[in-house]
Formats: sequence, structure tokens, C-alpha cells
Amino acid sequence: MSTWNYVVTAHKPTNVTHSCVGNFTGPQELNLIVAKCTRIEIHLLTAQGLQPMLDVPIYGRIATLELFRPHGEAQDFLFIATERYKFCVLQWDSETSELITRAMGDVSDRIGRPTDNGQIGIIDPDCRLIGLHLYDGLFKVIPFDNKGQLKEAFNIRLEELQVLDIKFLYGCSKPTIVVLYQDNKDARHVKTYEVALKEKDFVEGPWSQNNLDNGADLLIPVPPPLCGVLIVGEETIVYCSANAFKAIPIRPSITKAYGRVDADGSRYLLGDHAGLLHLLVITHEKEKVTGLKIELLGETSIASTISYLDNAVVFIGSSYGDSQLIKLNLQPDAKGSYVEVLERFVNLGPIVDFCVVDLERQGQGQVVTCSGAYKDGSLRVVRNGIGINEQASVELQGIKGMWSLRSSTDDPFDTFLVVSFISETRILAMNLEDELEETEIEGFNSQVQTLFCHDAVYNQLVQVTSSSVRLVSSTSRELRNEWHAPSGYSVNVATANATQVLLATGGGHLVYLEIGDGTLTEVKHAQLEYEISCLDINPIGENSNYSHLAAVGMWTDISVRIFSLPELNLITKEQLGGEIIPRSVLLCSFEGTSYLLCALGDGHLLNFQVNMSNGELTDRKKVSLGTQPITLRTFSSKNTTHVFASSDRPTVIYSSNKKLLYSNVNLKEVGHMCPFNSAAFPDSLAIAKEGELTIGTIDDIQKLHIRTIPLGEHARRICHQEQSRTFAICCLKNQSSADESEMHFIRLLDDQTLECISTYPLDTFEYGCSILSCSFSDDTNVYYCVGTAYVLPEENEPTKGRILVFIVEDGKLQLIAEKETKGAVYSLNAFNGKLLAAINQKIQLYKWMLREDGSREIQTECGHHGHILALYVKTRGDFIVVGDLMKSISLLIYKHEEGAIEERARDYNANWMSAVEILDDDTYLGAENNFNLFTVRKNSEGATDEERGRLEVIGEYHLGEFVNRFRHGSLVMRLPDSEVGQIQTVIFGTVNGAIGVIASLPHDQYVFLEKLQSNLRKVIKGVGGLSHEQWRSFNNEKRTAEAKNFLDGDLIESFLDLSRGKMEEVSKGMGVSVEELSKRVEELTRLH
Amino acid sequence: MEGSSSQLFDDDQKSSGASKFLFNLPSRGHLSSTVISSNLGGMRVYICEHNTSPPESQHIKTNQQNILIRSLMLNDKNGDSSSKDVKAAAEGPRKRAAERVMDSRASAKKANTQEGSSSRAAEKDYHSLTVERLRALLKERGLSPKGKKDELIARLKCVNGSSQKSE
Repeated sequence: MSTWNYVVTAHKPTNVTHSCVGNFTGPQELNLIVAKCTRIEIHLLTAQGLQPMLDVPIYGRIATLELFRPHGEAQDFLFIATERYKFCVLQWDSETSELITRAMGDVSDRIGRPTDNGQIGIIDPDCRLIGLHLYDGLFKVIPFDNKGQLKEAFNIRLEELQVLDIKFLYGCSKPTIVVLYQDNKDARHVKTYEVALKEKDFVEGPWSQNNLDNGADLLIPVPPPLCGVLIVGEETIVYCSANAFKAIPIRPSITKAYGRVDADGSRYLLGDHAGLLHLLVITHEKEKVTGLKIELLGETSIASTISYLDNAVVFIGSSYGDSQLIKLNLQPDAKGSYVEVLERFVNLGPIVDFCVVDLERQGQGQVVTCSGAYKDGSLRVVRNGIGINEQASVELQGIKGMWSLRSSTDDPFDTFLVVSFISETRILAMNLEDELEETEIEGFNSQVQTLFCHDAVYNQLVQVTSSSVRLVSSTSRELRNEWHAPSGYSVNVATANATQVLLATGGGHLVYLEIGDGTLTEVKHAQLEYEISCLDINPIGENSNYSHLAAVGMWTDISVRIFSLPELNLITKEQLGGEIIPRSVLLCSFEGTSYLLCALGDGHLLNFQVNMSNGELTDRKKVSLGTQPITLRTFSSKNTTHVFASSDRPTVIYSSNKKLLYSNVNLKEVGHMCPFNSAAFPDSLAIAKEGELTIGTIDDIQKLHIRTIPLGEHARRICHQEQSRTFAICCLKNQSSADESEMHFIRLLDDQTLECISTYPLDTFEYGCSILSCSFSDDTNVYYCVGTAYVLPEENEPTKGRILVFIVEDGKLQLIAEKETKGAVYSLNAFNGKLLAAINQKIQLYKWMLREDGSREIQTECGHHGHILALYVKTRGDFIVVGDLMKSISLLIYKHEEGAIEERARDYNANWMSAVEILDDDTYLGAENNFNLFTVRKNSEGATDEERGRLEVIGEYHLGEFVNRFRHGSLVMRLPDSEVGQIQTVIFGTVNGAIGVIASLPHDQYVFLEKLQSNLRKVIKGVGGLSHEQWRSFNNEKRTAEAKNFLDGDLIESFLDLSRGKMEEVSKGMGVSVEELSKRVEELTRLH
Repeated sequence: MEGSSSQLFDDDQKSSGASKFLFNLPSRGHLSSTVISSNLGGMRVYICEHNTSPPESQHIKTNQQNILIRSLMLNDKNGDSSSKDVKAAAEGPRKRAAERVMDSRASAKKANTQEGSSSRAAEKDYHSLTVERLRALLKERGLSPKGKKDELIARLKCVNGSSQKSE
């Protein structure tokens, strides 16, 4: 059953909608605050750059974000209003690092028509009131009292109904707004009003200006001493105040965002719809404005918000492409651009379409999205796990171990790579041509297998073999000292650091040596009762060359023990339980916390926190990483230490927010790994896998990895074809010429390089609407089918389209067949060896016929009418689920005998759909345009036809994101043995660039998690006092209903980030131990 | 200041386009390093464990009173303080209630004319009315409903002035 669903974000929204700069976290600290749909990010400006501070989830879609400074305050407050008519005022408490709610409230009205042009929220520059324009014809005022406290809000009637923008004017004795509006003849004007707070009414303002540019859309208030307002149109920019009026013509463009540069408001940055950045200058003599000047600076992403930070550095927030940090240079570069991009912040939004593929055939899904819009369009390959960028590789069979060594103790780079085999040891080194070639270290014994190698102090190297420990000079490469194993005993396992060697011989003998300048001293010997399986003395204390603790794993009693050094006294013994011996132990330190990791022979990993002073082991946790024995090694990337676990499922273990995280590496099977930081391959890893030695760099250590393939055009549909190893996309290119025509194409891309290998241009006015890779009955070929529409300017709905059938031959798209349709082909599906198309209000089935001359054609078979616009279609067996433009979901069935499609049931609610998916035979999932998700169920057991003809709504949830596409699949590798592996998941992509997962849970797990969610609601409070329950309640124009049969995974998974005390509070409420809760929630995090 | 500095710049160097305007961008000492890095540590996800309800008085609600009623009441109050005839003002609401039963449309207008003690407010009211309604008002007063809007208003004001005096 797919009734009980768990919704969780795999990739947070990245579309930047608002940004502002101010002293939020302290009077002396300058912050950039960025809003990304349902989250805000707080950054700190430092001399070195932007320092990320905090990522704050908000229980609402952010409509307004403003910083302001109430009277008598030393730092700014943050005003946030949400689209569901809530607002809050936040203050940063630097002592506790918490966000304090200074005020909050509900600003909805019972009656009122929501504005068409978006909500407006503005704050008087002298902090006398907050103004909100939420409903047509109403202006809401929240006044401040003289202590900076907010008072009861009230509405004022605003005569202008079609408001385009409202701003407060600077330098007015009474709070004054300027309103840009459109009259019923579509002419645009500005008007000013004074807000009379006592009378709670408007008073006619000091000036107005009629008949502006027809595209005037944006007001920029100018601060003192100039005051007044800039009115930005599509063809002119006007400066307007009570006593001045200046205008300049501009190249036709739509200005999307502005940013003020100077505090006195004499320079502004304007970003337009084509991503061009202009500088607008108000020239003035003293306080008299003499004119306007505009200069093109260069190109950026298409901006939705611009914030001038400091020192010529500007933040460009974008909804259509990556957000950027740019620098404005005084002199233009070779291309004449003054803009230098310093940094890009990945943005997937808007995700228009995506597909889930397994390109490396590893059993792990990757998501390939059509992201961005217009010139910033791109494809993004999103995958879970960490990639290795291969830089060199050699074929080498049977590697048993690898270590890197330096040629002198203070050399920053590694020179040698010691590779051990079953009966020999080879040494590789970088030669002068930066090639890896075999060399020799004379003092090493290269006739036998090496058990361990390490750099040692005093320019020495240590090699441990089964018979001896050799100390070798790294400069002369000659043997300086040797320790021999007692006769009759051979060394089984060994480890070392710069000053210490610990080894175990047969019979449970543990030997501890210390390294001096040319000396190897046996300091201590201990006899244990069982054989030793693994050991480690990685120094994690204050001294980076010397460890006071040794970790030892044992056969027979299956335990791990901590010994003190140099005494070799047993401090702690921890029974591991079970019958699987530990194969690798490692002491390591993450974010200041010391851990003992212990890997078992069956792919499980235990971790403990280690108390460095008394060696105590606490906080035992167990996870499964794979099925084969694991070898643990530390490595560094970007100055942070991580652990690499080599096994059949190689994993990187790292820490974030004091929590251990496991990220799989996108390699199949790794036997051994060692860091190899050479001058030619800095920060690289040497990896032994499947008869191959590879040197490569590792991606940034994070969960999701995104590869960007810029297209320079807007991709709208994507589809993968496994047989030809290609992607096909429908895309459009905006012609830069003045006539603003668009050209649409079908492009074929190689699925490895993602380069375009073939293009099929569509006709003028013809749009690509849908794409599908499928095969037909009685034909072994695989085809790409494309559905199109002729979008003519004079038609409301397309009345003509085409279905094109292509085959990929020699990397080219060959048109095999085409069929004209009577409307737009919104969706195509493979259906019982035939082709099912949604064409305007009709569902149409086509069959694939062989003509007498051997060519193929598409023939109409049957159809079904009765939709407004059938936009989204999914099929399963003979069932067809249709998502309609405005009539929610309906279920159709294809009857083979009659060759007919009939309606079986429908949901009678009026939902405007944005995506549908089939969860199982009876349950269907829908997303609609008020950012809600819902599920409906087929009622086959209904007593009457009426009941059976009704799809019952069983689940409702407010996602707060506009979903464009659902696809079955998973971003993570599914381990068949784990419980999580059995859970069905659907991936969704949204306009804001979020990728999420909907998992259908078993009922008992759902009930458990529902209880956990309600307990967490009591502990985790909504920022700004916003309620989680209200936020997740289903909401459209007609009704609001509590969420049901959906759980908020983001809330549930934040359990793991709670402080221990709060975890215990939740645990008490649940009657389940913290460990058990953590384990169950951690399992869920592995769904994404 | 801005102008002069850019002119100076213009003189000693033939800078094209935007260069002269990009001179002297504001700086407060941040982002001054030659290599700007945004990778200065990770972003902490904020988990809010403390109570986030605002101080009691700062739970803001909207005044639910209808805008029309509110403006009438405010005018009332103004009338209270400004008008010398307290009695007449006090009678106002009662009268209005009685009249409403008879003819709501007419009563609203009469209420306006009675309470709109300042002629400016009345004038403004007339301007916001449609010609149709102005004509209806004139008819009520037995005046000619013909002419342009301005003429109608003038006529109405004329009559009002005299009626107020008579009251």
C-alpha cells in the first residue's frame, strides 16, 4: 500500500528570490541575507569573503524580506512575510546565537482578492510603519509606536486596483508612499499618498505623474539628500520628485532587479531579463538632480535580486541560473566587460523536467534535470555520493596494500608510492616528467610483502614486513636500523606513525617500538590471550607524532581494546558481539571529537566516541556500509580529515554538525586506498580497484554532487535512451535579434559527454511539448517520439501539432514517421506496445503499422474525450491516470476487446494539476498549483457505480514548492538486505530547484513516525513563531485542511541535529530510547 | 563630490564607458582580500529549540472594523471635538439608524452631508461620486440634474452651504 507517505528534501531549494545587506548579527558585523523560497541563509562579510553562518528553514514561502533599524536599536531587525499571510520580525541574539521573535502576526483578511502582481511589503525609512499590499484595493499598515513596538494593524482603501509597485519615499515629514499603477485603459501612472496614522487614512500626496512608459514596472526610492523616486520602464527611466523630472531612453529591456551602490543613492545597479547589468547614475549638483546616465557593465546570470556588498563586490541572486558573486572592475576586460565573476552558487531552479538514469550501471540512480531558463538554461547531473576524477591509471593486479612516503620529513608533497603484492613490494615515484615510474629504495626489502610503511622523524622511513621492521634514511635511502621478529614468529599485522611502531606476531604477542634518530627501540611487549586481527596508533591527541592510545582488534572473543602507550596497559575492552571479527580499527578525530572506528568482516562499521584522557568508549553506533571486509584509512581534502572505507561499497566517513555522515564513493569496488599528495597530483588519492591502480582527486565531501552542462538555451523536456546511450531534449533558443522570435529544437546528446551530437530543428512557431523513448510491438527498434504544438500568436490554445518518430542511427536523429494532430501533444506514453498521446482535451491511442512498402506509420486506434486539457498522463498496465489542467485526476481504462478507452473514476475536486504519478495499482499522487500534494485512491469495492466512479482523496499535504515532475526512482544505492531497500520512492523536482523524495512507508512505521513528528513539533519551534502544523496543512483558495497521510521528513530528520537534552525529551514522550530513535531516523536519511 | 572626482578621472585618462562611473565604489573594509573565497566553513542548519512566541503585546492582529464604519466613527470623533453643537452630533447616529430603515442609499448620503462638517471633505466626496449619483442627489433636492460633473458638484455645494447655514 502506498497510502502512508514520507516527504523529504534531498536537495534544498536554491532559487534566490530576495537578498538584503545589513548589520543583522551584530552592530559591527555586515551580513548578506538571502532568501531561497522556504529558507533564509545568513552570511557574514569578512575581509576574505563571504562566510556562511546559518541556514534557517522558514515555515512559509517567503514573500518579503527586509532589514530595518527601529529607533534606539544598535543592529538591524529582519522582517519576513510569507505568502500565506503570516509575518514575523526577527532579531539576532549574538550571546545565544539564536533568532528571537520580536513580533509576529497574521495579516490575512477574510475578504479580499489576492493581488495579481505579487505581495508587496515595505518599511518606512524612518521606521514609523510597515506597509503591506496583499489584496487589491487594500493597503495594510502596521504602525510602530515610539518605542519601536508594533501596534494593531489596519487597512486603508487604495483606489488604485492594478498596483505594480509601491515604495516609501525618503525624507518626508509624514510617511509617504509612491504607487505605480495601471488604469483600466492600460496606461501607467504614479501617485503619492501620505499615510495619516491617526486618521487611519490616506491624504493626497505632494505630487503625481501621469502617462509613464507602458512597461514601467519598478520604483526605486532615492535616499536623501536627493529624495524622489526612479521609475524604471522598458524604454525609459525617469527620475521624479516634487520639483524635478528627468528622463533618459534605454535600450528596450525588462529590468528584473536593482541594487543601490552608494548610501546617498547616486548610483544603482540594474539587472535585466537578458542578464545584462547596467549602472544607473543620477548626476546632481548639490541636491539638485541634473540628469541620468546609464552604462552597460557586462553580463551576469539573469538576476532576481542584486545586493551591493562592499568593495566593488556584488551578490547577484538568480531564479533562472546560478547565483553569483561578482566584482566590478574599473577597467573593462578584453570583451569590454567590467564584470568579473568571482564565485557561482549552484541553482537547479527551475527544474522543468528531469529523468532518472543509471549511467554507470552501478545500481544507483542519477537525476538529470532540465534546469534554468533562457540563456541560463543547463542540464544538471545530480547524484548521491562522491566522485573520483581519474587523472592517471595503470594496470596492476593483486595489490595487497599501498602507502605514500615523502623524501624528507618536511617535504610538503609525497614522492614515493609503495605498492605491496603477495610476494614482492614495488616502489613508484614521480620522475622529472611528472610520470609515475618504478624506482627503488635500497634499504627496503622488496622481495616480500610489505605489511606497513610510514614516514618517520629524522628523515627516515619505516617498512614492516613479516620478519622485520626496517628503518631507512629517506635521503640516502639506506638501511639505518632493523628490528627482527623473534625466531619462530612472524609479524601478522603492524601499524606505525612518525615515532612509534606497534606490531603483532602470532600467538597474541603485541610489540611496541619507538623510533629515534637511526634507532629502533623495543619499549614494551605484551602477551594477549588471543590472536590480534588489527591495530592502530593514529595520533589524535595534542602531539601529531605520538599517540598515547593504541586500538587493537581481537580474534576469538571478538573485541576491541584500548591500550595506553608506552605502558601497553589495557584501559578498555569492548565486546563487539556477533561472530564477525574486526578487520580494521582506526582512531580519528572529526571536528574536535575523537572517535574509534571499527570495521567488521561483513561490511558493518561500529563507531565509538573516545575519551582521550581515560580511553573510555561511549556512544556506540553500528551501520552497514557493504557486505565485504572494510579497510579504513584517513585522508585530507581541503584541510579537513576524512576517513575512506575501502570495500565493495567504498564510503567516505566525515562529520558535519558534530554528526558522522557516510557518503558513498562512486566506484565499484576498492581494495585499498592511500592519500597521495604529490606535486603533479596535489590532494590526490591512489586507489586500487579491480586490477587497476588509479590516481585521482576526490570531489568536495558532501552528499549530493551536481555537474553542470551549460546549454545557453532553455531545455524543457528530457528523456534517456539506454540502447543508443543518448539523451534527447526539447529546447528553445531565444533569438537575440529584435523580433524576439524563439527557435525550438530536438537535440541528441551523448549520455557520457553530454555533448550535442545531432539536432533536428522544429518548424517556426512549433514547440516541443513531450518526448519519449519507446519501442512498439512487432518492431525491435527503439525510437524517440516527440510531441509538438504549433503555438500561433492569434490562438488561445494550439489547434495543431505533430508526433514525430525518430530513430538514432550513427549518432544522428533520423525522422522515420510523423503524424499531424489536432492540438498540442502534451504527453506521450508507451502503452501496450502502442503510443498513447494526450492532445488538448483528448487522450488518443496510436498503433505502429507496417506499410506494404516496408515503411512505418502511426495510425489512430481509439481515443477518449472529456478533459479541459489533459496535461499529464501516466500509465500502468491497462490503466491510464490523467492530470487535468483544472479537473484534478481521473482514471481511464483501455479495453482490449472493444479497442476503447473508458473513464473508470475521477476526483471531483477542482485541482489545477502540475504533475501526477502512479504510486501503486490503486493509489495515485498529484501535485497542484497551490503548492500542495495529495493522493487519491481507486475505490474498487464501492457498492454503487457512483462510489466506484469516485477517486477518494486519502492524503493531503502542503509542500510549499511547485512540483513540475514526478519520477519513480531513487538517488541512493539500494542494498537489498536493508529494510530501507524495500521502500518504494518517487523523486520530484520543483521550480525552486529543490529535489525531494516521497517514500511509501509500511503502516506501523508510519504510525511510529507520526508520533515522532508530533513530539518533535513540541520541541522544534518554528522560527518567528510560525506553526509547523499550519504550514503543512493543505491549502488552496477554497479550503484549508490538516495534513493527512503525509509526514514531513525534514522535520523528522532534524531529530538528529537536536541537543542531547532535547533528544531525551522527545525520547521520553515517545517511550523509546534515544539510541533506538537515532537509529530509526538515520535509516530514513538513507532514503536520499 | 561624485561629479568632480569622476571629472578628474576623465581628464587624466581617456576612460571609455562605465569606467568613470565605477570610480570610488563604497567600501567598509570587507571583501578586501585579493582572493575572495566563499568557502569559509560550512552552513549550519538552524534548529530552533527555544520558545519562539513573540512578547505578548507583539502578537499583531488586524483591526477588523470595516473601513467605512471606521472612517465614519473617526469623523464622528472629529465632529465631537470640533463642532460646537455637541447635541446635533450626538443625535447623528440615532437619526441615521432611523433613516436607514427608510432608504439606505439616501441615508448614507445624508449622513455624509450632515457629518461632513468640513466642506472640503464634502467636496472630495462629491468628486468621488459618479455623475449618476450626483444627478440623483440633485433630484432629491429638487434641482436640475443637467450639465457637466463640475457644474453638478457646484450646484450641490451651493445648496449644501445654504442648508448647513439653515441648520
